[in-house]
Amino acid sequence: MTGASITLKVNGADRPVAAVAPWTTLLTVLRDELGLTGAKRGCNQGVCGACTVTIDGEPVRSCLSLALNCTDCEIATVEGLAPAGSLAPVQQALAEGNALQCGFCTPGILIAAHALLRRNEPLSVDEVRAGLSGNLCRCSGYKKIVEAVVRASEARP
Amino acid sequence: MEFIRPDSIDAAVAALQAENAACLAGGATLVAMMNADLVAPERLVSLRDVAALRTAMRQPDGSVVIGAMRRHRETAEETDLRDGQRVLSDAAGQIANPPVRNMGTIGGSCAFADPAADYPPALAAADARIALVGAEGRRTLPADAFFVDWYETALEPGELIESVILPPAPAGTAGSYTKLARVAGDFAIASVALVLGMEGDACSHLAVAVGACGPAPVRRRDVETELLGGGLGDSEIRRLTDALADGLDPVDDVRASADYRRRVAPRLVRQAIAEAKQCLSGTQ
Amino acid sequence: MSPPDTAASGVGASLPRLDAREKVTGRAQYIADMVRPNMLHAAIHASPAAHALITGYDTAEASAVPGVACVLTGDDFPDGRMGAFIKDEPAIAKGKVRYPGEPVAVVAAEDEETARRAAALIRVDYEDLPVAATPDDAMAPDAPVIHEDLPDYFKVFPAICGGNVASETELSEGDVDAAWAECDVIVEGEFETPAQAHLSIEPVGALAEVDADGRVTLWSANQSVFRVQANVCEALQLPMSKLRCLTPKVGAGFGNKMEPHVQPLVVQLALKTGRPVRLILNRTEDFETVRARHPFKIRCKTGAKRDGTLVARELSAILDCGAYGDDSPGVLGYSLLMSRGPYRIPHCRTSGKLVYTNRMRFGAFRGFGNPQVTFATESQIDEIAGRLGMDPLDLRVKNMMRPGDRWFGGGEVASNGLAECIEKASAASGWRQGRARAAPSGKRRALGVAACAHISGLLATGAIVRLLEDGSVVLNTGAVDIGQGSDTVLTQMCASALRVPADRVAIASPDTDGSPYNWGTTASRVTYTTGRSVVAAAGHVAEEIKRHAAEIFECAVGDLELRDGGRVGIKGVPDKELSYFEVSARAHWAAGGPIVGADTWVYNQPSVDPKRAIARGLPFPQIGVYSFGCMIAAVEIDETTGKADAVEVWSAMDVGRAINPGSVEGQIEGGFVQGMGFALTEEMVFDGPRLVNPSMMDYKAPTSLDAPFDIHSIIVEAAEPDGPFGAKGIGEIGLVPAPAAIGNAVAAATGARLRRLPLTPERVLNGLLESDSED
Repeated sequence: MTGASITLKVNGADRPVAAVAPWTTLLTVLRDELGLTGAKRGCNQGVCGACTVTIDGEPVRSCLSLALNCTDCEIATVEGLAPAGSLAPVQQALAEGNALQCGFCTPGILIAAHALLRRNEPLSVDEVRAGLSGNLCRCSGYKKIVEAVVRASEARP
Repeated sequence: MEFIRPDSIDAAVAALQAENAACLAGGATLVAMMNADLVAPERLVSLRDVAALRTAMRQPDGSVVIGAMRRHRETAEETDLRDGQRVLSDAAGQIANPPVRNMGTIGGSCAFADPAADYPPALAAADARIALVGAEGRRTLPADAFFVDWYETALEPGELIESVILPPAPAGTAGSYTKLARVAGDFAIASVALVLGMEGDACSHLAVAVGACGPAPVRRRDVETELLGGGLGDSEIRRLTDALADGLDPVDDVRASADYRRRVAPRLVRQAIAEAKQCLSGTQ
Repeated sequence: MSPPDTAASGVGASLPRLDAREKVTGRAQYIADMVRPNMLHAAIHASPAAHALITGYDTAEASAVPGVACVLTGDDFPDGRMGAFIKDEPAIAKGKVRYPGEPVAVVAAEDEETARRAAALIRVDYEDLPVAATPDDAMAPDAPVIHEDLPDYFKVFPAICGGNVASETELSEGDVDAAWAECDVIVEGEFETPAQAHLSIEPVGALAEVDADGRVTLWSANQSVFRVQANVCEALQLPMSKLRCLTPKVGAGFGNKMEPHVQPLVVQLALKTGRPVRLILNRTEDFETVRARHPFKIRCKTGAKRDGTLVARELSAILDCGAYGDDSPGVLGYSLLMSRGPYRIPHCRTSGKLVYTNRMRFGAFRGFGNPQVTFATESQIDEIAGRLGMDPLDLRVKNMMRPGDRWFGGGEVASNGLAECIEKASAASGWRQGRARAAPSGKRRALGVAACAHISGLLATGAIVRLLEDGSVVLNTGAVDIGQGSDTVLTQMCASALRVPADRVAIASPDTDGSPYNWGTTASRVTYTTGRSVVAAAGHVAEEIKRHAAEIFECAVGDLELRDGGRVGIKGVPDKELSYFEVSARAHWAAGGPIVGADTWVYNQPSVDPKRAIARGLPFPQIGVYSFGCMIAAVEIDETTGKADAVEVWSAMDVGRAINPGSVEGQIEGGFVQGMGFALTEEMVFDGPRLVNPSMMDYKAPTSLDAPFDIHSIIVEAAEPDGPFGAKGIGEIGLVPAPAAIGNAVAAATGARLRRLPLTPERVLNGLLESDSED
């Protein structure tokens, strides 16, 4: 199959990708070409949120982003939230707070939560509920996730 | 399939002059449909690099020109929208969910023209105009004329949406968008966009558009005009809701039945007006 | 370094998930993340027809697509049939199709896009047959027969079947016909519940790889590697020794991944191509071809005396089975067993029919028929309370089962925390004051209550505990952790039983080659059944450790005790102790052999006492131990639109013993929200046989803004005498009462008794307006 050769900037590193077709989504490239399988394909329609990554700092759906449209952007995935061997505060909060079950939605939730936490101020329960409303979780009932993110927002200096 | 990323409106229009070419705005709808094999354009014209489409600007006369590529989140937070124009930002903030609002654009949403989407009624109530540009030049259409039928707009092949223009809203008017949906972020079962002005007890400005209850937003300008200057009490509101009900053409779908939409839309209108009146009296 | 704290990680601690770090870093591997060298990608060609004979295939065009390695149709599959209760289902449609979306052909290609493109090019000739889209259609005198060979299918229980009725079940106690005369108030009604989608965020998938000798290794999204093995081998007529089943992380299972989905297809493709093959369904396919919660139509009648004493109940249910039997006979039988509820009702007659239709198969879904019947029966408890002018909670307390009371059918109940559940939910919710609490302007607010019970149990399970050379431990149970946290909970039990910190216990991933049999992660059973085996197997290891220590110390085994940190010592003599390292090293290198403890068992307590009850066609003769619960939900209804929102809930659940309270709360919270979705928004809509809304755009589960934040989990611990540390299951019961509690709150707020789920704004508004106009 023919396609374009592009370079994506993912988690701070330049990642060349060959033969990218116009219809190939960022999610497909991340998962199949770059081995970054943290972002998940739940619906491929932009509804479930499991594929959420950030582009230029904003959480978006990687399943609705065409890879050819993502050159010259900064892309960040769950794998880039913290250096290997360490956890970002929001990762720590979810892990310790029993705020994940099957874990399939967790990478998307973390990306959305991480973006909320950039505001650097304590978040209310309702702010977190609204901020995570684009990330479906079928296991948890959301309560422990919301609690963990609120806690992470309060714990910062 | 070809992928083109022009960096000017002219280049984008030129690129669109091909069989089965489609504009790629935020991707929230088009890419979802491509993923589902529902559409397969032969040429994708990405508008991402067209800087001129990404700005919103308040004009000296108080009108606001919103570039087609403005994201829902940007429109929701748009401080240039004032008074009754806030109907649009209120609607933008209720579209889908945060990540989708970071992607989806006003131009993309208008071009797709889902009758249950949030912008069409808000644009109708704001008396917005849609500015189009094509190989033949530029034209602007009122929202009423732009939204033609179910998923059908006045866009011609080779044309794209350049901007959405909101006229100035009279000072002191309030704009609000009331949406009923099955769950947060879903498309509307029914929605009401309202721009209201009151001078004392008299209605000085009234625009009501009902969404998701027919192929296009429903407004009754005739009755709105008749009600200007009056008290907007129960009977006046009933005249309006009765007239609006005549214009509804809802369908049964997975979100709700047509019967329910007919039943609930007037109730939503009443609630929206009551809340707006309360809000206005609180600020005066 | 101080020794790790045993108590802080053992039974009773809210230990974080063992795999939490793996999951928050995005490293956890699910089936779609797995890649094998030289792997092919598969796609299905699904039937557009609902009921049709297959008269021919044309696969030439698909086979010619560059990159296509293999195209298989029904003709390329053996004649085996699988099915948990009735062996009625081939691996792929053969000869005829029975529902829209049924796989009729499958393609393997070098990449997924090519496989999907080729699958779309397959042509199948159909000769349409009349369609039976609903149970009513299917029971009509001239209905088309969906399974002509039903009488000849192998069944694992004495099924009563015929025509399109796959199974008919009856269960009764007492003399219902005579009992109505004793009743001062009788309520009667018809209740209806829709199909609910499991909506695991992970769509199903499988990956099979064949070795040079033709032995297959199969990974898949599943709830039981052993059920996968059994189903695939039955359908493909393979000896079980030729198939090894493994599991990656599972992106949640709510019953949808218990029985087979695409596993037989990838195994056959792997066998035919000799290459690894992976198939991941897309969301629409997952909706259309996996399974969903059964639509129920329930007729229910309940009678009581003037003082509130419940006297009699009659309940009959019609279940839409869909095209294949799957777990459905079990769901029917179980729903009847639950239909008396946790009450003393001396006269009770229940019956049900499970009817094949040309819709997708329906099967197990968290609650297993119980949420549907509980919606009907708990609605009627409130209706009776209303008719008698009694407080609904008082009526429940008056009639609730007390410790020692038997379950409907006569099964013994060894632990019963119902009274405490009701009392605690009532107190926490302020039930007595709650009704006075004002609703916000434009809303109506009310509380609703429902009580319920559920089992944990069923069938066979096992555990193997091995002491490694250094004294640390490996636990192997074969139970799949589907995200609910059983690996963590079983590890905590093993750690506590051996008095080591949890991080000294590794848990093996389920493997049909190396794990002891485990029927599956279903029926709220792993904590209870597998936990029992873990405790027993660890007990064998403890005995062995003591036996070694007795030889070393030259003392009696009875004088020894295990001590925190993994040590064995002489009671009362603190200095006289050995580490497990010293014991295990001796066992490995000098005397006795490596220490392994193993235990297996099968649940064997009868559910029905033939002296008390009459049962016909009941598929589960031995069901499990009972848990109880009480839920109170606060619901607000928008007076403009009728939209009902659950704004706060108190869910008191009897778990016997909370091995991991944080995990227990997670089950209660998640169960409630899934039940709330069932109550308020979720409905698979059918147009005849066809699913109209097979997408997440059109099928709506609650988001974080729809779910209330104030879900109060109240853990009640009525210890089960033979449960591990007293524990019972919690996986399902938290969902069971949600629709009933919400429905009762809606009725209290509006005056309208709605008997059909979901309680959409439309239904609630219509009810509210009708009820207001009657006032």
